Amino acid sequence: MAAGSATAEIVTPADGPQLAAALHAAATERKATVISGGGTKIDWGRTASRIDLVIRTSKLTHVTHRFGDLTATIGAGATLLDVNRELAQHGQWLPIDSAFDGATIGGIIATNDAGPLRHFFGTARDRVLGVTLAMTDGRLVKAGGTVVKNVAGYDLGRLVSGSFGTLAAIESATFKVAPLPAVSGSVRIRFVSREALHQRAQALAESPLELMAFDVHAAFTRDEAVYHLLVRVASTPVATATQLEAARAMTGTDADVLCDGEEAELWRNQVRDPWTGTGAVVRLSWRPADLSSVLALLQDMQHRVEVPIVMTGRIGTGAGTVRIDGAAPAQVAAIQQLRSASLLGNVVVLRADPVVKDTIDVWGPMGSSARVMDAIKRKLDPAGILNAGRGPI
Amino acid sequence: MQALIDALRKICGDGAVLCEPAALLAYECDALPHLRATPAVVVLPTSTEQVQQVVRACAAAGVPFVARGHGTGLSGGALPAAGGVVIALARLNRVLDIDIPNRRVTIEPGVTNLEITRQVAPFGYYYAPDPSSQQVCSIGGNVAENSGGAHCLKYGFTTHHVLRVDAVLPDGELVSIGSDFADPPGPDLLGLLIGSEGTLAIVTRVVVRILRRPEAVQTLLAAFDTMAAGGAAVSGIISAGIIPAAVEMMDRLAIEAAEAAVQPNFPRTDTVLIVELDGPEAEVRETFAMVEDVCRTAGAVSLEVARTDEQRMRIWRGRKAAFAAMGRVSPNYYVQDGVVPRTMLPEVLGRIRALSDRTGLRIANVFHAGDGNLHPLICYDERIPGQATLAEEVAGEILNYCVEAGGSITGEHGVGADKKDYMPRMFSEDDLAVMQQVRDAVDPQRLCNPGKILPAPRLCGETPGPYRQHPVEAAGLGERF
Repeated sequence: MAAGSATAEIVTPADGPQLAAALHAAATERKATVISGGGTKIDWGRTASRIDLVIRTSKLTHVTHRFGDLTATIGAGATLLDVNRELAQHGQWLPIDSAFDGATIGGIIATNDAGPLRHFFGTARDRVLGVTLAMTDGRLVKAGGTVVKNVAGYDLGRLVSGSFGTLAAIESATFKVAPLPAVSGSVRIRFVSREALHQRAQALAESPLELMAFDVHAAFTRDEAVYHLLVRVASTPVATATQLEAARAMTGTDADVLCDGEEAELWRNQVRDPWTGTGAVVRLSWRPADLSSVLALLQDMQHRVEVPIVMTGRIGTGAGTVRIDGAAPAQVAAIQQLRSASLLGNVVVLRADPVVKDTIDVWGPMGSSARVMDAIKRKLDPAGILNAGRGPI
Repeated sequence: MQALIDALRKICGDGAVLCEPAALLAYECDALPHLRATPAVVVLPTSTEQVQQVVRACAAAGVPFVARGHGTGLSGGALPAAGGVVIALARLNRVLDIDIPNRRVTIEPGVTNLEITRQVAPFGYYYAPDPSSQQVCSIGGNVAENSGGAHCLKYGFTTHHVLRVDAVLPDGELVSIGSDFADPPGPDLLGLLIGSEGTLAIVTRVVVRILRRPEAVQTLLAAFDTMAAGGAAVSGIISAGIIPAAVEMMDRLAIEAAEAAVQPNFPRTDTVLIVELDGPEAEVRETFAMVEDVCRTAGAVSLEVARTDEQRMRIWRGRKAAFAAMGRVSPNYYVQDGVVPRTMLPEVLGRIRALSDRTGLRIANVFHAGDGNLHPLICYDERIPGQATLAEEVAGEILNYCVEAGGSITGEHGVGADKKDYMPRMFSEDDLAVMQQVRDAVDPQRLCNPGKILPAPRLCGETPGPYRQHPVEAAGLGERF
């Protein structure tokens, strides 16, 4: 939990109207308010100077699964794990990754956290069909709907995606869910040369294969750089087998083919690896064609700051997460180097020691649209109570 | 106003400023011709800087402005503000960059949807959103309306395929929204802007994602004796865990109209279902056999598999021509756009049929069955007194059925000026008030495409009414889609 929260009041609304009332009261009393789901990402963002109130969503756990329509309306406080257990009863799932067992739907939307599945399914914002939001003026409002196609009104579900609880509190969201694939299999291949990895990756990208996940894992130490290319295929039985074989043939004969428990473990590790240990964790993006240069940049950074670095990333979208170990000054130097690289964009510090967060702005430059974000923030949260100054706006 | 017109001439040149009544006629409406209003002036900028200066001039003069692409919208989204300025973006039509290694194309808003695919097809790529009007509609309009198309069931809408836009805000400032890189921090403004129907900004540059052409495409035309049987087939496909690229359904009247117009040689039955699968060949082969089985089990009376591209094109020609084809079976028709949860399709279609029986107006149904997006086509004859009004009432009643079934008043045509008064059927006063707050945050002067999306007291020139023929139509120079 962020600094200053030790003395914060905690409320746990039982439903939407209570959530809206709690927010309204907080706004009236000008309490610096943080909305918390599972608390798994609560330390992301800037360090708060003061938190007066924490609103927990842990009682907002309702799930309405309309399996015939491939949609589900889910309370903000429901955990992704619980939701997927429930959806699986009808052979469906919400195809989103999280590194954290307690991660809730509200937190995933607010942070737009994503993992390898985004290659095929997009991120949470791409699957949100509608939202119910509690506003600081006490209104409980909805936008979007519960059908998979709908263009009526402003898409406020998108607006709160990535907003880190700065504009409103998410009460619930309706998602487009997906059928669970009949069969899944993955291929992993190790490389010592980043160029070789990039070449294979390009060949896969140009191939007719329809990949569910398409990832890179890179680990840099003083002595070596080790790269892995990870590919997941999930479809009907024959189609999965055929595509897996094609992927294996394209990546090389020494590729590992993993199924069932081994496959699940592979992807669990891929999602969680950046979060193990205590290093600073940074989100960053690049143009997909620059993958090889980005890996070179990270290796060069390792040589300069001399701390171990781990990176996992999505090859197709050019989005990754980097863990930088070592002491705070080395982490700061590394993050500054990432920020100054023209190959990279949207370098955001997620987890870091307060010393690091106080030295560099965790969000980085917000671009020319910041004034629009600020204008919307002032309109929806005129008292400026939400998120206690931790968020991007 | 004359001072503003002079300013616009100075910014864009005399040839880019239209204010003669005859020249303004073509801009009075979009493809929803029963809503029309006359602007004071139409300006055709050729650069982002000109758009900025035009918007600044309007803002300074307090004159409302409406951006317009190619005018193919079906909800009056580009309906001018009476006495205001239309900023027509047709001359901003350059393809600025094609980046195959990074799978993206940068274009100006006046480029047509299909042009993007034409540009990248030689490299084996395409742009996925495919509204029926894709040959003529502009990408700027697609961004405004969050356009989809028959294949959005699998591939999503415009919002899933745009990475970044340059946008001129209502005060004339230019901002970049979204990012060339993934995951720009902060609220998803790009997602808010796409589908905001031109009420928040004017987009002058768009970066879109392109996709690799699928290895295999298979198309099936299945005929059923009843719509219920066709509906059961759709349910069967979805519950088998298959997400087709497209699932389209047409009823008897729509089949009849398509046959009269483009002769797709559809079976003369109650319902046809078009199912298209795409992806890796092995997957398409395997799932296609499953789809055929499901259709047979659901009682298909005939199955036609498109063996060649020609056959596939013929099937799609029949579907895509369905709207325009209604002119062959009815003097006038009203196109509605509503959405129901897919499982509610049989019930809502039953209600529409009963409504047709009760009012005596024939209603053809052509729809995206996979996602429950209905397009009832209400046939009427404006020469019969009262029929046009009745058709409008019937169209409104169908929207009630959609909302009561848990659906939406629009799946892809937008709210625009046409449906803003239906918004309270779907949203509460509080819901709409918060949307208005968002709008006011971005456009405090309320000059950017006013009178759209959110219900407000009607302005003169916006009165809805029976269809009146567009002068371009009357002159035989164009037809309705």
